[in-house]
Amino acid sequence: MSSKKIFQNVSAFFITLFIWAYFLFGSTVIFLFGHIPAYLFSENSARAFQNLNHINMKNFFALTRFLIPGAKFKIQKEVRQIQSSVVVCNHLSYLDPILLTSIFKRQCTIVKSTFFQVPFFSWLLKNSCYMPSESSELMGQAMVENLENIKEHLAAGGNFFVFPEGTRSRDGKLAPFNKGVFSIARYCNAPLKLVYIKDTDKLFKPGTFLFNTRDNIEIEVELIGTLTPEYRSDNFSLSAVADEARNIFEQRIARN
Amino acid sequence: MTRQEIEREIKNIFQREFEVENPEMDVDLREAYAFDSIDAIELLLEIEKFLGSELTREEKKQAMDIRTINQICDYVEKLAETRKVAPVKK
Repeated sequence: MSSKKIFQNVSAFFITLFIWAYFLFGSTVIFLFGHIPAYLFSENSARAFQNLNHINMKNFFALTRFLIPGAKFKIQKEVRQIQSSVVVCNHLSYLDPILLTSIFKRQCTIVKSTFFQVPFFSWLLKNSCYMPSESSELMGQAMVENLENIKEHLAAGGNFFVFPEGTRSRDGKLAPFNKGVFSIARYCNAPLKLVYIKDTDKLFKPGTFLFNTRDNIEIEVELIGTLTPEYRSDNFSLSAVADEARNIFEQRIARN
Repeated sequence: MTRQEIEREIKNIFQREFEVENPEMDVDLREAYAFDSIDAIELLLEIEKFLGSELTREEKKQAMDIRTINQICDYVEKLAETRKVAPVKK
């Protein structure tokens, strides 16, 4: 291995360590001086929590951009302007939910159920009105409560972002879509905004520990379609909506 | 609206939305047909369409404890009674 390569790997290791250290300690500081006071004193603690999560993740990406100058972020203006919508995205990297939280001030999403078993983190997620992914966690009346909260959140201008593939793509191809997210949109009578995320997997590749600090990477977040299904119509078909959304993503991916 | 009409419509919904033909009336839907909470939400939306009116949060919560087709029919019968409206014709 050349000395240049060794230097690049060592540098990537320390940058990665620094970024995740910020993620951990920055979150702890925001928790102590933001979330706890918001929980105790805010009239709408979910809204305050979502805003704090947004600020935290914005800082995370500001630091990432600073430490990895080769990483550029091109977020379309139309994406930033999205409100009161179910935002349907493709999923490439662990960075995707963090990136979307940094874009939307009022946001909630579906989070892996295992995170709801982690003390402290579970408290943060529940108070931010995030939903667990496994349907076994959603059984019973809590499900209706969760959905009603999302409906109110959307009506108040917030966004609910979801990854219908459920997991990160390893090859850039779309995995099958889970129709559950479209059922939630139907329940909330909300429009669907289709948002395409490009190249987050090049910055933080699934299955690796290190950020890619070497290459020039342009991460793009683009609004590729809007669907406003007639949910109450007799002809409404959930499968047709899911298929239409999927086709729009496939067409966009084919353009790469 | 008669009990028979309700049963017919519920069976139609199961066939159309969940691809379950002639479901048994008293089996546990979760065990027999892997019916999950997202399916339950879809069912609620179809029931709203059938009754032609929205359900309240409390009414929806009551539905989450239902396990069998017979219980669904009881539930819809009760809702129709409360509303005293004819269901939307299909």
